[in-house]
Amino acid sequence: MATVPWEGPIPDLLRARLGASVLETSLYLDQPFAVLALPAMVPALELLRSEAGFDYLVDITAVDYPKRTPRFELVYVLYSYGRNERIRLKAGVALGEKAPSAVPVHLGANWLEREVYDMFGIEFAGHPDPRRILMPEEWAGFPLRKDYGIVEMDNRWVQANLGIESGQ
Amino acid sequence: MIKFLRSFLLLDLLEGLWVTFRHQSPSQIETEQYPSERPAVSERYRGAPRLNVHPETQETLCISCNLCAVACPENLIVVGSVRNPETKRKDLVTFTYDLSRCMFCGLCEDACPVDALELTQDFEIASYTREGLIWDRQALEEGPRPTQYRQ
Amino acid sequence: MTALDSNEMVLNMGPQHPSTHGVLRIVLKLDGERVTSTDCIIGYLHRGVEKIAENRTYVQFAPYVDRMDYLAAVSNGLGYCLAVEKLMNAVATPRAQAVRVILTELNRIASHLLWLGTHALDIGAITPLFYTLREREAVLKIFENYCGARLTTHAFRIGGLQYELYDGFEKEVESFCGQFLAKVDEYEELLSGNRIWRERLRGVGVIDAETCKRYGVTGPVLRAAGVAWDLRKAQPYSGYEQYEFDVPTRTSGDTLDRYFVRLDEMRQSVRIIQQAVANIPTGPIMAKIAKVVKPPVGEAYVSIEAPKGELGYYIVSDGTTHPYRLRVRPPSFVNLQALGHMAQGALVADVVAIIGTIDIVLGEVDR
Ligand code: SF4
Ligand code: SF4
Repeated sequence: MATVPWEGPIPDLLRARLGASVLETSLYLDQPFAVLALPAMVPALELLRSEAGFDYLVDITAVDYPKRTPRFELVYVLYSYGRNERIRLKAGVALGEKAPSAVPVHLGANWLEREVYDMFGIEFAGHPDPRRILMPEEWAGFPLRKDYGIVEMDNRWVQANLGIESGQ
Repeated sequence: MIKFLRSFLLLDLLEGLWVTFRHQSPSQIETEQYPSERPAVSERYRGAPRLNVHPETQETLCISCNLCAVACPENLIVVGSVRNPETKRKDLVTFTYDLSRCMFCGLCEDACPVDALELTQDFEIASYTREGLIWDRQALEEGPRPTQYRQ
Repeated sequence: MTALDSNEMVLNMGPQHPSTHGVLRIVLKLDGERVTSTDCIIGYLHRGVEKIAENRTYVQFAPYVDRMDYLAAVSNGLGYCLAVEKLMNAVATPRAQAVRVILTELNRIASHLLWLGTHALDIGAITPLFYTLREREAVLKIFENYCGARLTTHAFRIGGLQYELYDGFEKEVESFCGQFLAKVDEYEELLSGNRIWRERLRGVGVIDAETCKRYGVTGPVLRAAGVAWDLRKAQPYSGYEQYEFDVPTRTSGDTLDRYFVRLDEMRQSVRIIQQAVANIPTGPIMAKIAKVVKPPVGEAYVSIEAPKGELGYYIVSDGTTHPYRLRVRPPSFVNLQALGHMAQGALVADVVAIIGTIDIVLGEVDR
């Protein structure tokens, strides 16, 4: 990925306040993003919201890189109505590690984090309602992980609840 | 007083009924009397597939290149062919198309280099069985045979 | 779920309930007629679109996005194409961009029309549904003539368009625009002037701008709360900066205002379409891109203003023909989250109005 360094008030603010937790600030295709250490994520969201006007949490998602450590990458997309700017924050999460929940900062994080948990199995510490959201509650497995096949399913659940041998 | 007269003479009701009757004129009728009256679908409509044959020789236009099968997101086209030792070309033997999984996106049609596979204006492809939706080469070349409800 | 108070009652709304517009189940806790808490249970329509994307090529995945917000398939397709084009550092040709704008705005009208009809039906006004479906039919006919499908259109391709305009496209679009504004006035006459309609919706499901932002709510719901924010204006894409249009807003953020905002949006869409169709540039419809779509390693987030709000695509490419990860940021999913706030303390009958007014499509909520 051919990135260029991202300069400006926002990376400066992040660096000044979070110090060594800011691992990278770059631009790719004119889209700025910052890579942070996981514990600094929620403080960064709070900082950006209160001091830089990033008041709209657009999206939270994750990407699974089975060969990397840490295995998952959490991606937060932020937007500022005042600045009309969009940035992304990223942080690595290891398998089994709990990410801090962003719900105290942005209410909208609630369902988005539930979806990340549902699809990747990344748990969020301090989430007010840590349930699955799209898949059934008793479903075993996390569908968007790379080791989950496209036709794979929780056969036990399918047989117990749908009365069929298999969904395929 | 006028208000009283209006309500006494049911003028509002008559006005409403007038609107209703105005919409009875044939030019205002939007309902289609399917199946006795068939809707005219557009020229580019993406409906039932057809495997085109040469209009005179009745030979298939398909050159068994398999591009449609590769293009299809649902992997529902299977092209069976054998290599002809004389012409060194592939001859089409079987062609199956599983309509039950098709989403009529048109990617196969776009991929075909010789315009052999085409999505036509036929839209009556319902079948009583799942197997009936898997079309073989014959069905693809001759077109669907919908159940006739009225002669 | 916490234990019930002896005064509380649980009401299950859906998943098969006509006013939830799909398979949405809401567990309402009631204190008499008042809603004390809501719990949305979604996922009945989950098809794993994001998983499917990882197993398809970029070109092959395009028809699947139509099936998310199936009432605005063209918008979904536009967002997807723009996202992949961004990754490939390509732009569609001017002609393709103009056609994209026309079709997307027509789709916005179609989506709002269906919303208006069904929303009015939920409230108890049956007539508007027939009117709106009649007008929507004209839009769908244009789609059918253009690309051969009415609902799941697959109208755009990465890099431009697949189909050249058909003869008479401009005339058909213009005649639709010409008569459509009068039709919007007719709906206004039917509904806005109706005292029952106004009293029924005024002050129902209020959400203010601050709360909208905290929940990440976008689209007409946000604009009805007084924020004049529209991605077409804020970060124009596909040549929207060339067209003149206003961002309609209202201030009180209730159901009635959202209705007004959507009506005004339809009028603005007509304005955009009329400007665009008056001079569609000539030239190729497909940009010069490689035949095999294979974006370089990298990632991009691209979003557009769909009829329901901000629709975003976040794509991670690993340099192959298949996306490594494709995430859809669905507006309906995020907006639905605010239902709990809007329905707090409302009457049960108002919940129906509130669901209708958020304008969700379950295909997009569940993906
Ligand atoms: S129309 Fe689309 S889904 Fe159907 S066979 Fe062709 S490529 Fe496959
Ligand atoms: S792409 Fe056309 S010619 Fe090639 S196998 Fe398919 S139908 Fe035959």
